[in-house]
Amino acid sequence: MLLRVEDLNVYYGEAVHALRNVSFEVQEGEILSIIGANGAGKSTLMWTLIGQLKPRSGKITFRGEVMKPVPHAVVSAGMALVPERRRLFPNLTVRENLMMGAYLRGDRGAVQKDLEYIFSLFPILKERLNQYAGTLSGGQQQMVATARGLMSRPKLLLMDEPSLGLAPILVNQIFETIQEISRQGTTILLVEQNAKKSLAIAHRAYVLEVGCIVRTGTGQELLNDPAVQAAYLGVSQHKEVILEGKEPC
Amino acid sequence: MIFQTIITGLSIGSIYALMAVGYSLVFSVLNFSNFAHGAVITLGAYIAWALMVSVFKMSFFPALLLSMLGAGIIAFFVERIAYSTLRHRRAPSLFLMISAMGVAIALQNVLYATVGANLYALPPIFTQDTFSIGAATISRMDIFAFVFSVIAIALLTIVLNYTKVGTAIRAASYDSEMVSVLGVNLDVLVAVLFLLAGSLGGMAGVFMGIKYMVYPSMGWITNKAYIGAVIGGLGSLPGAIVGGILLGLLESLVSVTVIGSVHLSTFRDVFSFGILVLLLVFRPTGLFGRHVEEKL
Repeated sequence: MLLRVEDLNVYYGEAVHALRNVSFEVQEGEILSIIGANGAGKSTLMWTLIGQLKPRSGKITFRGEVMKPVPHAVVSAGMALVPERRRLFPNLTVRENLMMGAYLRGDRGAVQKDLEYIFSLFPILKERLNQYAGTLSGGQQQMVATARGLMSRPKLLLMDEPSLGLAPILVNQIFETIQEISRQGTTILLVEQNAKKSLAIAHRAYVLEVGCIVRTGTGQELLNDPAVQAAYLGVSQHKEVILEGKEPC
Repeated sequence: MIFQTIITGLSIGSIYALMAVGYSLVFSVLNFSNFAHGAVITLGAYIAWALMVSVFKMSFFPALLLSMLGAGIIAFFVERIAYSTLRHRRAPSLFLMISAMGVAIALQNVLYATVGANLYALPPIFTQDTFSIGAATISRMDIFAFVFSVIAIALLTIVLNYTKVGTAIRAASYDSEMVSVLGVNLDVLVAVLFLLAGSLGGMAGVFMGIKYMVYPSMGWITNKAYIGAVIGGLGSLPGAIVGGILLGLLESLVSVTVIGSVHLSTFRDVFSFGILVLLLVFRPTGLFGRHVEEKL
């Protein structure tokens, strides 16, 4: 087991209970999707996993070790986050943005080789290396953000809404890239609003709803689940079917 | 005469720039005005005085380096004691600023209580300080301060642009949370930030001590450097450099101007603070300041 999350509870202040007893697992080598609507707690989950948000209770075990909420410890253990809305440093060049992803690594030669791997995934970035990241198009910025995540050579790549705000043709490209990264041996935890596409490429998936995990199965099972179809895939004939558990946990 | 004034202006301006850079570095990442910077600069000058005059009889260069190091370490401890807990609790920047003012008052009064309120002189670097070019009398110390300030700022620029930690500092000036999530230990980064700001401040303190005197309230001069940083745009490094030097030049030009029978030198500080007020009214982001960007 690569990642095991047990009974995670995260609050914002006292009033907002953002994650409620969330438990799930990620197996080595898979693409795991978590789908859910706006405000379901998807990003909260990502920022908690990377150690930036402190959970009130619960346990995160990664590669057999219990993770403390300290981002640089989590990153050196082998996790990396590609955050929602990319969060590039627009005042830095593309090269500098990528090197920020490799901040904890001392092996210069290997970092250089990983740059080659990045260029094989995103050839356009080679031409853009010395350009300021703020001048790139949205699609290219998403490439840099993904590449920056890969530069730490993570065992587990956390991807938060990579398709957000991209044109449809770029959305297809980004999902293909995710599969390619997975084939190269990086495990991926993908959080998406684009349920259809992310379930289609997922080995397994969970449905997150107002802070609770309400469904799980393989990507295909959830795609065929009438309740999931009604709630997330916009299949109209199933509108009367609603996911059970308005009080999910 | 005008040549002489420009040299003096560049000299004081470059010392302003040294101090202003310290304000801007801290502001760019932590978003607050570190008003304890003046006290750190003062302590830098006192360390030089202890090394060169009162305790040891060191020569200038080792004393300068040790004073810079000492001021950097003091700045580091100020951060640890007065700011780090506030930072970890994500306190609003106003709290940090108030804490900084407290540190400034405390350190200054520690100096009054221990070393006393006396004025001390640092030994001059050059036995014969002035030389003449035509009718102009130029101070060697002015040239020296200008050259060394420029070198120090150039080195800082190299660190910021070509090292890993410098790149991280620039990245953090835009989005420190993201920097942290990429694996940078923010506490270490902030420590480096204060070491850099403090040691440049220490250098400025030593130069001020040689040019004028060493006394507990000498840190007041950082108000001018702060104006320089605001003129250039708080948080911007080129802004701090240009703003500091510009202010120094303008001040020394104003000081020698006589209109009718009125010597404007009496109004020098009125002039400096007047510029600050005008700037805040008409261009609050300064010359190089970041425009407030709407983030998606």
